[in-house]
Amino acid sequence: MERLRFVFWALLALLVLSSGVLAQDLREIEKILEKIDAQSRFDDQDFSALMTMIVEDPEKGIEKMVVRQFRRDDGRRFLLLIQEPSTQKGQGYLLEGENLWFYDPSSRKFAHTSLKETFQDSDARNADFNQWTYSSSYQVEGYQEDVLGKFQVYLIDLEAVDETVPFPFVRLWVTQDSHLVLKSEEYSLTRRLMRSSLFPKYAQVGGALIPTQLILVDELVEGKKTQIALSEISVSKIPDHVFTKSYVERVSR
Amino acid sequence: MIALKIAFRNISRQKKRSFLLAGAIAFGMLVITLLNALSGGVVENIRVNFSHALGGHIFIMGREFSGEGRMIHKIRPDQRLDQLLDENAASIRGFSKRSQAVPSLIFGSKQTMHLLYGVDFEEEDQLLESLAVTAGSLSGVSREGNALILPKPVGERLGVEPGETVLVKLETLSGQQNVGEFKVKAFIEDQEQFGLSAAYANRSYLNDLLGIGSQEYQMLNMFVADLSRLDDLTRVFREGLKSPEELEESKFEELEEEEALLEVSVGGVPLDPMMGGEEIKPWEGTRYQVMSLNQIMEPVELMVGVLNQVGLVIFLILLSVTMVGITNTFRMIMIERIREIGTMRAFGMQRREIKRIFLLEAFFLGLLGSAGGILLTALLAFILSKIRFGADPALQFFLRQGQITFSFSAASILINTALVLVISLIAAYWPARASAKLPPVEALSSHT
Repeated sequence: MERLRFVFWALLALLVLSSGVLAQDLREIEKILEKIDAQSRFDDQDFSALMTMIVEDPEKGIEKMVVRQFRRDDGRRFLLLIQEPSTQKGQGYLLEGENLWFYDPSSRKFAHTSLKETFQDSDARNADFNQWTYSSSYQVEGYQEDVLGKFQVYLIDLEAVDETVPFPFVRLWVTQDSHLVLKSEEYSLTRRLMRSSLFPKYAQVGGALIPTQLILVDELVEGKKTQIALSEISVSKIPDHVFTKSYVERVSR
Repeated sequence: MIALKIAFRNISRQKKRSFLLAGAIAFGMLVITLLNALSGGVVENIRVNFSHALGGHIFIMGREFSGEGRMIHKIRPDQRLDQLLDENAASIRGFSKRSQAVPSLIFGSKQTMHLLYGVDFEEEDQLLESLAVTAGSLSGVSREGNALILPKPVGERLGVEPGETVLVKLETLSGQQNVGEFKVKAFIEDQEQFGLSAAYANRSYLNDLLGIGSQEYQMLNMFVADLSRLDDLTRVFREGLKSPEELEESKFEELEEEEALLEVSVGGVPLDPMMGGEEIKPWEGTRYQVMSLNQIMEPVELMVGVLNQVGLVIFLILLSVTMVGITNTFRMIMIERIREIGTMRAFGMQRREIKRIFLLEAFFLGLLGSAGGILLTALLAFILSKIRFGADPALQFFLRQGQITFSFSAASILINTALVLVISLIAAYWPARASAKLPPVEALSSHT
């Protein structure tokens, strides 16, 4: 009887201890997510770059898009202006706080759209061009240590805390030393893999670390993927009027 | 009375000529009556097939705003709606509850977007009967949770075959990504030209993917018992489902409309540039949109109306040709009977009576022609309605169970007959007047 009581208390202590350790570990992972978000953010600087997107579609073939990107994270603003192909030239996406507007120069009208929507016919979502919000939009479901290529990584499973993000479940491969996201997998509500994203190149820009090359693979449509490369990166001050509808209308003429 | 007898005798005197004249009129009558009856039947069939494909005669959709301010389409269990359904139970033959989405259908490297209805196949057994299957089978669709019925062009675009699995990518009502696997059970004939190209799946599975509760849905479709009461019943539901706020808003809108009549304008341009630039303000709870089949049928009826107008023009052309024929024939008759007219006049028959004989002859020819045309139409319609067009699925939407149907309208038959009679009388009027004006002596001395 004494032995049984001992085993019971020992098991209980182990359970409490392990759950405490697990909770502490999860808090560590949450801190890593906060760091990931922080290092993708331009707090006191503006950001601009030229994005070249190669969209490979098994039905439409290969299409190239060139997009000029402007970001001001502390005002939660961005502007994406399409420069190529000529058929879409002048189309723009303007984020003003909670509102994302799409401008079409052919109709000369702004239409309300969402960060969750697909960017043109690519595999990117409008949210991909905004600052990352893993720590605020997701909670950690679990994690494990893993190896990706030559990198020691944390494999982190996330679940959305609200419905503001397009993908309810995400899996991240994050380097253990520098906390860079090397790969992510996005899942549907039924937990079916929808998209894999690879981030093979990063660059230190001002105070932020941002991926300069992205490979987005559609896991539902065979052979569909999008490659994005950033160039002409700058953290110079962007005039305020750039983040206005009138500017979008003017440059789209 | 004498004029009537003579008119009848004259018709039977030249049987061949009378037959040809009446035959020409009958042909015109046949064309217009058949066309009217055919278009009437087609409209009825489209109405019936539409109601089966759409799942009702009255369609109610619910809209509400999510916590994030996003407008979502769904109907929750609602006492107001249940009460209206109870109150009007005698006028409602049945109702169904559907969900819908416009997802990406993916098969291998191909994808396409298409309207998908979530249907309770057991509740809507008439839907399955109205679908024209081109490949696969509809048997067991209600038992297989992830069964999918695809329009044929969509299946061809994807390169999928019945029995294979397609992925369906959609957004939940809250905007999150979701993916389901559906097994293609059958291809059906598409009705894209009528804006009715839709795929069908089991509602429960689609609800799961859309993030809708099992008791919730997006459209309530009703079959009414008496179609003549469709507009009335639509109004009852439209008014009955308005929330107190909507009623208040509609009063306000009425006031605004009255005020708008007093708006100052320059050269017809209102001075207030904001007029018409209305923005939707979020509301609490569910707001309903109520539509009837009559609203949806408007373009079809417009098209059939144009077809009937074209038929009427053809009918008038045929009648004009016949009118020239009647005029010429009656001129010949006048010349042939010139001595007879002289004799009748010599024995005291008045000019008016002579004219009446000719006009009555034309009237009876028109009447005989019209009656013959109607009888021929009935015979032809009877024969055509016995033919089965089951082999050609493209025609199914215009047919009832594979057969042409004709809908005869007494009003249009009466109008067309009246038109024929008036034109016959007009055509015979001038020869009749010329005959009546013939001096008896001159007529008697004629050698024709």
